[in-house]
Amino acid sequence: MTNSGPVVAVVGEYLPEISIPITLQRLVMEAGANRDFSLMHHDGSIARTAGASDAFANTFFLMGMFERLVRDWAGPQARFTKMGPLKMLNFNIVGDTMVFKGVVELVETTLKGRRLVLELWCESERGQTTTCVVELLTP
Amino acid sequence: MSDVGWGLWGTWEETEACLGKVVGQWQGPDPVERGSIRRWLEPKEFDCAIHTDVDAAKAVGHHDVVAPASMVFTYGVAAYWSPGDLNQSIDDEPTQIQIPVIFNVPAPCNKSFATSMEITFEEPLYLGDVVTCTSRLIDIQRKTLKVGPGAFLRQEDTYTKQTGEVVAVASLDIFRFYVSDGEAGHDE
Repeated sequence: MTNSGPVVAVVGEYLPEISIPITLQRLVMEAGANRDFSLMHHDGSIARTAGASDAFANTFFLMGMFERLVRDWAGPQARFTKMGPLKMLNFNIVGDTMVFKGVVELVETTLKGRRLVLELWCESERGQTTTCVVELLTP
Repeated sequence: MSDVGWGLWGTWEETEACLGKVVGQWQGPDPVERGSIRRWLEPKEFDCAIHTDVDAAKAVGHHDVVAPASMVFTYGVAAYWSPGDLNQSIDDEPTQIQIPVIFNVPAPCNKSFATSMEITFEEPLYLGDVVTCTSRLIDIQRKTLKVGPGAFLRQEDTYTKQTGEVVAVASLDIFRFYVSDGEAGHDE
Protein backbone atom coordinates (compact mmCIF):
# COMPACT_ATOMS: atom_id res chain seq x y z
CA MET A 1 0.00 0.00 0.00
CA THR A 2 1.18 3.50 -0.83
CA ASN A 3 2.79 5.63 1.86
CA SER A 4 0.88 8.75 2.83
CA GLY A 5 4.06 10.65 1.86
CA PRO A 6 5.70 12.87 0.89
CA VAL A 7 8.79 10.76 1.31
CA VAL A 8 12.00 12.00 2.94
CA ALA A 9 14.49 10.76 0.38
CA VAL A 10 18.18 10.39 1.10
CA VAL A 11 20.84 9.37 -1.38
CA GLY A 12 21.71 5.72 -0.77
CA GLU A 13 18.33 4.94 0.79
CA TYR A 14 16.88 1.59 -0.28
CA LEU A 15 13.20 1.35 -1.20
CA PRO A 16 11.10 -1.31 0.55
CA GLU A 17 11.23 -4.25 -1.84
CA ILE A 18 8.21 -5.89 -3.44
CA SER A 19 7.93 -9.63 -4.03
CA ILE A 20 5.38 -11.02 -6.48
CA PRO A 21 4.95 -14.57 -7.83
CA ILE A 22 4.58 -14.97 -11.59
CA THR A 23 1.75 -17.38 -12.29
CA LEU A 24 0.12 -18.00 -15.65
CA GLN A 25 -3.09 -16.59 -14.19
CA ARG A 26 -1.30 -13.35 -13.34
CA LEU A 27 0.16 -13.09 -16.85
CA VAL A 28 -3.25 -13.68 -18.41
CA MET A 29 -4.83 -11.06 -16.12
CA GLU A 30 -1.99 -8.70 -17.02
CA ALA A 31 -2.36 -9.24 -20.77
CA GLY A 32 -6.08 -8.54 -20.54
CA ALA A 33 -5.43 -5.42 -18.51
CA ASN A 34 -2.52 -3.93 -20.44
CA ARG A 35 -3.62 -5.18 -23.90
CA ASP A 36 -0.26 -6.64 -24.94
CA PHE A 37 -1.53 -9.94 -26.29
CA SER A 38 1.79 -11.07 -27.80
CA LEU A 39 1.62 -14.83 -27.62
CA MET A 40 4.86 -15.44 -25.73
CA HIS A 41 3.38 -13.67 -22.72
CA HIS A 42 0.60 -16.20 -22.19
CA ASP A 43 1.41 -19.25 -24.37
CA GLY A 44 4.25 -21.42 -23.12
CA SER A 45 4.71 -23.27 -26.43
CA ILE A 46 5.27 -19.99 -28.30
CA ALA A 47 7.51 -18.69 -25.53
CA ARG A 48 9.71 -21.77 -25.91
CA THR A 49 10.33 -20.95 -29.58
CA ALA A 50 11.76 -17.66 -28.33
CA GLY A 51 14.19 -19.43 -26.01
CA ALA A 52 12.24 -19.10 -22.77
CA SER A 53 11.17 -22.12 -20.75
CA ASP A 54 7.60 -20.86 -20.38
CA ALA A 55 5.43 -17.77 -20.84
CA PHE A 56 7.16 -14.63 -19.57
CA ALA A 57 6.15 -11.20 -18.30
CA ASN A 58 5.87 -8.33 -20.79
CA THR A 59 7.43 -4.89 -20.65
CA PHE A 60 4.18 -3.15 -19.70
CA PHE A 61 4.02 -5.31 -16.57
CA LEU A 62 7.64 -4.54 -15.72
CA MET A 63 7.06 -0.81 -16.15
CA GLY A 64 3.91 -1.01 -14.04
CA MET A 65 5.64 -2.92 -11.25
CA PHE A 66 8.49 -0.41 -11.16
CA GLU A 67 5.87 2.33 -10.94
CA ARG A 68 4.24 0.51 -8.02
CA LEU A 69 7.62 0.08 -6.28
CA VAL A 70 8.25 3.80 -6.47
CA ARG A 71 4.68 4.88 -5.75
CA ASP A 72 4.45 2.68 -2.63
CA TRP A 73 7.54 4.37 -1.26
CA ALA A 74 7.23 7.93 -2.55
CA GLY A 75 3.54 8.51 -1.80
CA PRO A 76 0.67 9.98 -3.81
CA GLN A 77 2.23 13.46 -4.17
CA ALA A 78 5.09 12.20 -6.33
CA ARG A 79 4.94 12.92 -10.08
CA PHE A 80 6.74 10.57 -12.45
CA THR A 81 8.76 12.47 -15.05
CA LYS A 82 10.76 9.68 -16.67
CA MET A 83 11.03 5.91 -16.66
CA GLY A 84 13.91 4.20 -18.38
CA PRO A 85 16.01 3.07 -19.87
CA LEU A 86 14.30 -0.18 -18.98
CA LYS A 87 16.68 -2.97 -19.89
CA MET A 88 15.59 -6.57 -20.17
CA LEU A 89 18.44 -8.86 -19.23
CA ASN A 90 16.61 -12.15 -18.78
CA PHE A 91 13.11 -13.58 -18.90
CA ASN A 92 10.68 -13.35 -16.00
CA ILE A 93 8.94 -16.69 -16.34
CA VAL A 94 5.93 -18.51 -14.92
CA GLY A 95 7.06 -20.04 -11.64
CA ASP A 96 9.49 -17.24 -10.83
CA THR A 97 9.13 -14.99 -7.83
CA MET A 98 10.10 -11.51 -8.95
CA VAL A 99 11.59 -9.18 -6.35
CA PHE A 100 11.61 -5.47 -7.21
CA LYS A 101 14.22 -3.31 -5.51
CA GLY A 102 15.59 0.20 -5.74
CA VAL A 103 17.94 2.79 -4.32
CA VAL A 104 18.00 6.60 -4.34
CA GLU A 105 20.81 7.86 -6.58
CA LEU A 106 20.17 11.61 -6.62
CA VAL A 107 18.18 14.20 -4.70
CA GLU A 108 18.25 17.80 -5.85
CA THR A 109 16.12 20.88 -5.36
CA THR A 110 14.58 22.44 -8.44
CA LEU A 111 12.02 25.18 -9.08
CA LYS A 112 9.37 22.46 -9.54
CA GLY A 113 10.21 20.60 -6.33
CA ARG A 114 12.71 17.95 -5.34
CA ARG A 115 13.98 15.90 -8.25
CA LEU A 116 14.78 12.29 -7.37
CA VAL A 117 16.62 9.79 -9.53
CA LEU A 118 16.24 6.15 -8.55
CA GLU A 119 18.07 3.05 -9.75
CA LEU A 120 15.67 0.12 -9.81
CA TRP A 121 16.05 -3.53 -10.62
CA CYS A 122 14.27 -6.83 -10.46
CA GLU A 123 15.67 -10.16 -9.35
CA SER A 124 14.47 -13.72 -9.62
CA GLU A 125 15.95 -17.16 -9.10
CA ARG A 126 18.07 -16.42 -12.20
CA GLY A 127 19.59 -13.26 -10.73
CA GLN A 128 18.98 -9.75 -12.00
CA THR A 129 16.49 -9.83 -14.87
CA THR A 130 15.56 -6.20 -15.47
CA THR A 131 16.92 -2.75 -14.64
CA CYS A 132 15.22 0.63 -14.82
CA VAL A 133 15.95 4.24 -13.94
CA VAL A 134 13.08 6.40 -12.70
CA GLU A 135 12.96 10.16 -12.23
CA LEU A 136 10.25 11.91 -10.25
CA LEU A 137 9.34 15.16 -8.59
CA THR A 138 8.22 15.34 -4.97
CA PRO A 139 7.17 18.31 -2.82
CA MET B 1 11.48 -12.88 -29.46
CA SER B 2 9.11 -13.73 -32.22
CA ASP B 3 8.21 -16.83 -34.15
CA VAL B 4 9.29 -17.48 -37.77
CA GLY B 5 8.11 -14.99 -40.37
CA TRP B 6 7.82 -12.07 -37.96
CA GLY B 7 7.76 -8.55 -39.36
CA LEU B 8 7.45 -6.85 -42.72
CA TRP B 9 9.97 -8.17 -45.24
CA GLY B 10 11.98 -5.85 -47.47
CA THR B 11 15.44 -4.55 -48.32
CA TRP B 12 17.76 -2.40 -46.20
CA GLU B 13 17.23 0.37 -48.76
CA GLU B 14 13.52 0.25 -47.98
CA THR B 15 14.34 0.36 -44.28
CA GLU B 16 16.52 3.44 -44.76
CA ALA B 17 13.74 5.12 -46.74
CA CYS B 18 11.55 5.07 -43.60
CA LEU B 19 14.10 6.88 -41.42
CA GLY B 20 12.63 10.01 -39.86
CA LYS B 21 9.14 9.27 -41.12
CA VAL B 22 5.86 8.52 -39.38
CA VAL B 23 5.50 4.74 -39.61
CA GLY B 24 2.31 4.33 -37.62
CA GLN B 25 -0.50 6.33 -36.07
CA TRP B 26 -3.67 5.25 -34.36
CA GLN B 27 -6.07 6.22 -31.61
CA GLY B 28 -6.50 4.03 -28.57
CA PRO B 29 -10.01 2.56 -28.76
CA ASP B 30 -11.03 3.22 -25.16
CA PRO B 31 -11.05 6.41 -23.07
CA VAL B 32 -9.48 6.40 -19.62
CA GLU B 33 -12.07 5.00 -17.20
CA ARG B 34 -12.22 3.43 -13.76
CA GLY B 35 -12.79 -0.16 -14.90
CA SER B 36 -9.67 -0.41 -17.03
CA ILE B 37 -7.60 1.27 -14.32
CA ARG B 38 -8.86 -1.22 -11.73
CA ARG B 39 -8.09 -4.18 -13.98
CA TRP B 40 -4.59 -2.78 -14.63
CA LEU B 41 -3.89 -2.34 -10.90
CA GLU B 42 -5.22 -5.81 -10.03
CA PRO B 43 -2.47 -8.16 -11.33
CA LYS B 44 0.20 -5.87 -9.88
CA GLU B 45 -1.47 -5.72 -6.44
CA PHE B 46 -1.04 -1.97 -6.79
CA ASP B 47 -2.87 -0.05 -4.06
CA CYS B 48 -2.82 3.74 -4.43
CA ALA B 49 -6.00 5.74 -3.92
CA ILE B 50 -5.22 8.51 -6.44
CA HIS B 51 -5.96 5.92 -9.14
CA THR B 52 -9.36 4.98 -7.71
CA ASP B 53 -10.69 7.76 -5.51
CA VAL B 54 -11.38 11.29 -6.71
CA ASP B 55 -11.00 12.86 -3.26
CA ALA B 56 -7.60 11.24 -2.79
CA ALA B 57 -6.53 12.48 -6.22
CA LYS B 58 -7.76 16.02 -5.52
CA ALA B 59 -5.94 16.04 -2.18
CA VAL B 60 -2.62 15.92 -4.03
CA GLY B 61 -3.49 18.42 -6.75
CA HIS B 62 -5.19 16.41 -9.48
CA HIS B 63 -8.63 17.47 -10.72
CA ASP B 64 -9.92 13.91 -11.04
CA VAL B 65 -8.90 10.27 -10.71
CA VAL B 66 -5.55 9.97 -12.46
CA ALA B 67 -4.36 6.94 -14.40
CA PRO B 68 -1.01 5.38 -13.46
CA ALA B 69 1.71 7.10 -15.51
CA SER B 70 2.90 4.00 -17.35
CA MET B 71 -0.67 3.09 -18.26
CA VAL B 72 -0.34 5.49 -21.20
CA PHE B 73 1.12 2.52 -23.11
CA THR B 74 -2.11 0.60 -22.59
CA TYR B 75 -4.41 3.46 -23.58
CA GLY B 76 -2.29 3.89 -26.71
CA VAL B 77 -2.57 0.28 -27.90
CA ALA B 78 -4.58 -0.02 -31.12
CA ALA B 79 -7.73 -2.13 -31.27
CA TYR B 80 -7.19 -5.77 -32.23
CA TRP B 81 -10.52 -5.79 -34.06
CA SER B 82 -12.94 -3.00 -34.92
CA PRO B 83 -16.37 -2.93 -36.54
CA GLY B 84 -15.89 -3.27 -40.29
CA ASP B 85 -12.76 -5.42 -39.98
CA LEU B 86 -12.75 -8.96 -41.36
CA ASN B 87 -13.72 -11.75 -39.01
CA GLN B 88 -10.85 -13.98 -37.97
CA SER B 89 -10.62 -17.56 -39.22
CA ILE B 90 -9.03 -20.42 -37.32
CA ASP B 91 -6.06 -20.60 -39.73
CA ASP B 92 -5.29 -16.87 -39.58
CA GLU B 93 -2.13 -15.63 -37.92
CA PRO B 94 -2.86 -14.25 -34.44
CA THR B 95 -3.28 -10.49 -34.31
CA GLN B 96 -0.20 -8.91 -32.75
CA ILE B 97 0.28 -5.76 -30.76
CA GLN B 98 1.23 -2.84 -33.03
CA ILE B 99 4.98 -2.27 -33.17
CA PRO B 100 5.47 -0.23 -36.36
CA VAL B 101 9.24 -0.76 -36.66
CA ILE B 102 8.49 -4.47 -36.90
CA PHE B 103 5.23 -4.59 -38.82
CA ASN B 104 5.26 -1.39 -40.93
CA VAL B 105 8.96 -0.96 -41.69
CA PRO B 106 10.36 -3.34 -44.32
CA ALA B 107 13.65 -5.07 -43.50
CA PRO B 108 15.40 -8.31 -44.54
CA CYS B 109 14.69 -9.83 -41.14
CA ASN B 110 12.45 -12.55 -39.76
CA LYS B 111 13.09 -12.28 -36.02
CA SER B 112 13.19 -9.51 -33.46
CA PHE B 113 13.42 -8.72 -29.80
CA ALA B 114 13.12 -5.58 -27.68
CA THR B 115 16.26 -4.46 -25.89
CA SER B 116 15.42 -1.19 -24.17
CA MET B 117 12.68 1.36 -23.72
CA GLU B 118 12.19 4.65 -21.95
CA ILE B 119 9.44 7.19 -21.56
CA THR B 120 9.23 10.83 -20.53
CA PHE B 121 5.95 11.99 -18.99
CA GLU B 122 4.52 15.42 -19.73
CA GLU B 123 0.83 15.47 -18.72
CA PRO B 124 -1.28 13.13 -16.53
CA LEU B 125 -4.13 11.09 -17.99
CA TYR B 126 -7.55 11.66 -16.41
CA LEU B 127 -10.92 9.97 -16.74
CA GLY B 128 -12.34 10.53 -20.22
CA ASP B 129 -9.03 11.25 -21.93
CA VAL B 130 -8.40 9.51 -25.26
CA VAL B 131 -4.85 8.76 -26.40
CA THR B 132 -3.40 8.89 -29.92
CA CYS B 133 0.00 7.33 -30.59
CA THR B 134 2.23 8.53 -33.44
CA SER B 135 5.32 6.44 -34.19
CA ARG B 136 8.44 7.49 -36.05
CA LEU B 137 11.54 5.54 -37.01
CA ILE B 138 14.34 7.73 -35.67
CA ASP B 139 17.48 5.56 -35.84
CA ILE B 140 18.89 2.56 -37.65
CA GLN B 141 22.12 0.88 -36.55
CA ARG B 142 23.13 -2.14 -38.63
CA LYS B 143 24.87 -4.78 -36.56
CA THR B 144 25.56 -8.50 -36.45
CA LEU B 145 24.98 -10.12 -33.09
CA LYS B 146 25.44 -13.75 -32.18
CA VAL B 147 21.81 -14.37 -33.13
CA GLY B 148 22.38 -13.15 -36.67
CA PRO B 149 22.78 -10.10 -38.94
CA GLY B 150 20.31 -7.29 -38.49
CA ALA B 151 19.84 -3.81 -37.14
CA PHE B 152 18.75 -1.93 -34.06
CA LEU B 153 15.71 0.15 -34.97
CA ARG B 154 14.62 2.92 -32.63
CA GLN B 155 10.94 3.84 -32.62
CA GLU B 156 9.79 7.09 -31.03
CA ASP B 157 6.17 7.10 -29.91
CA THR B 158 4.46 10.40 -29.12
CA TYR B 159 1.30 10.01 -27.06
CA THR B 160 -1.17 12.88 -27.24
CA LYS B 161 -4.62 13.38 -25.77
CA GLN B 162 -7.74 14.76 -27.45
CA THR B 163 -6.73 18.34 -26.55
CA GLY B 164 -3.49 17.97 -28.50
CA GLU B 165 -1.41 18.01 -25.32
CA VAL B 166 1.55 15.64 -25.30
CA VAL B 167 1.10 13.06 -22.55
CA ALA B 168 4.37 11.24 -23.01
CA VAL B 169 7.16 10.47 -25.45
CA ALA B 170 8.60 6.97 -25.49
CA SER B 171 11.44 5.32 -27.35
CA LEU B 172 11.69 1.62 -28.02
CA ASP B 173 14.78 -0.19 -29.31
CA ILE B 174 14.11 -3.32 -31.31
CA PHE B 175 16.81 -5.57 -32.76
CA ARG B 176 15.53 -7.10 -35.98
CA PHE B 177 17.63 -9.83 -37.56
CA TYR B 178 17.64 -12.75 -39.94
CA VAL B 179 17.79 -16.40 -38.96
CA SER B 180 17.82 -19.02 -41.70
CA ASP B 181 15.53 -22.04 -41.45
CA GLY B 182 16.56 -24.43 -38.72
CA GLU B 183 18.71 -22.02 -36.79
CA ALA B 184 17.86 -21.58 -33.14
CA GLY B 185 16.84 -18.26 -31.73
CA HIS B 186 17.99 -16.33 -28.74
CA ASP B 187 16.30 -14.84 -25.74
CA GLU B 188 14.93 -11.40 -25.11
